[in-house]
Amino acid sequence: MNMWDHWKKGFGAWETATSAYLEQVLANPAVLGPAGAMLTAAMKTKAATDKAAHSWWASIGLPTRRDQERGLHKLNQLESRIADLEEQLAASRRPQ
Amino acid sequence: MSKDDARPHRGVLAALARLTGRLGKGLPAVGQTPYDEVWRENKWRLLRFRATRPAAERWRTPILLVPSLINRWYILDLRPGKSFAEYLVNAGHDVYVIDWGTPTAEDRFVSFDDVCQGYLGRAVRKVAAASPDGVAHLLGYCLGGTLAAIHTAANPTHVASLVALAAPIDFAHGGTLAQWTRSPGFDVGALVDGFGNVPWPLMQASFQMLKPTLNLVKLVSLVDRAWDDEFLDGFLATERWGNDNVSFPGECYRRYIQELYQDNRFAAGTMRLAGRPARLDAIDCPVLAVTFEHDHIVPVASAAALLAQVSSPDHAQLHLSGGHVGAVVSRKAASTLWPQLSRWWATRDTDAARGLGEDDHPAAEPETSAPS
Repeated sequence: MNMWDHWKKGFGAWETATSAYLEQVLANPAVLGPAGAMLTAAMKTKAATDKAAHSWWASIGLPTRRDQERGLHKLNQLESRIADLEEQLAASRRPQ
Repeated sequence: MSKDDARPHRGVLAALARLTGRLGKGLPAVGQTPYDEVWRENKWRLLRFRATRPAAERWRTPILLVPSLINRWYILDLRPGKSFAEYLVNAGHDVYVIDWGTPTAEDRFVSFDDVCQGYLGRAVRKVAAASPDGVAHLLGYCLGGTLAAIHTAANPTHVASLVALAAPIDFAHGGTLAQWTRSPGFDVGALVDGFGNVPWPLMQASFQMLKPTLNLVKLVSLVDRAWDDEFLDGFLATERWGNDNVSFPGECYRRYIQELYQDNRFAAGTMRLAGRPARLDAIDCPVLAVTFEHDHIVPVASAAALLAQVSSPDHAQLHLSGGHVGAVVSRKAASTLWPQLSRWWATRDTDAARGLGEDDHPAAEPETSAPS
């Protein structure tokens, strides 16, 4: 067995022990709770900042980015609805 | 090359130098099986593969492959000679795949119903229309399997059979991911309101946290097999796929987490899809649940739960060794999983036309079979 094989054997043992330990840590409520709370707080701050920026932008009568996203989404929905109707039309024309 | 030759007897530095040289040549090409785009709507596309050589037999019922919403479709067509899709078309199957595409900012409003009923429903109908019997076999991988099962439960008409490949069904057994989404500090609403589409780096980080030492293990095997060109090509292609992820449409993610991970509605029988009940016991077509022994993303219990509630008498579990990705794309998959799936579909090809009853089906040939 060469040096690399020895090292690999040691690494394998370390990895098995460390992996099991880290999995326990990351599933621990004492870690999950604060981590989730931090993420949630950051997201709420981002959402509030975006909302304030959008309100200001809208107050001068301009469409916000969210308005544009809604408009594009409606167009996509319309495309899907037309495809639905085309399918229904094709089905109604098909001989029974 | 023998296994012994692959070891870095020539030294770790030489191995690293070889890896650097190999990476300098660029990443291997992926998704090389020729295909036609048969439908495009919003960002998603329906692709139909073309055979690269003539097949001895031609099966009547087409197969629709449904990949996960957050991964690229080409995991099912990784490299020439190592491609599940290529294998199937060359075995005489008519194979389609959904490419979910890349959601952009406006797709934050795309809902679970849009994806699972609207887009998936259209794909199933398009594929079924290519069959003389108006039905299609459905295979969903990972989240794609969950979507396929929910869709089939609410819309069984065009589905000839369902294969759920490492697909989470019972989220009470969802493992660490489920634990995270149920932790009191996690607020999916705040995440979606803040981000819009849930960014793929966030999801990738959470998958990496499931096995925090996995990247180190990969690095060691890379050095260990630096002279094995076939291994390197496969490894780099899989890594290319693993780092080419897709963000999750926001509203779809909200409902996915709330109704599946947190409330486990599909397994509980209380889920609805576009107003229709989506109950597992409404699935009466042949069902195969494929589970993997070392799957750290979708625990076996979560995936196998599909079989406990479906009403189809023709249902089985195919339990194989390997992990969530490796077991689907590895050299071993090409000699075990792929042929077994091809045979499973072949024996269920247009039952009505061939006059077969449900009792006439030979069982799948799993390493360990656990029909429930």
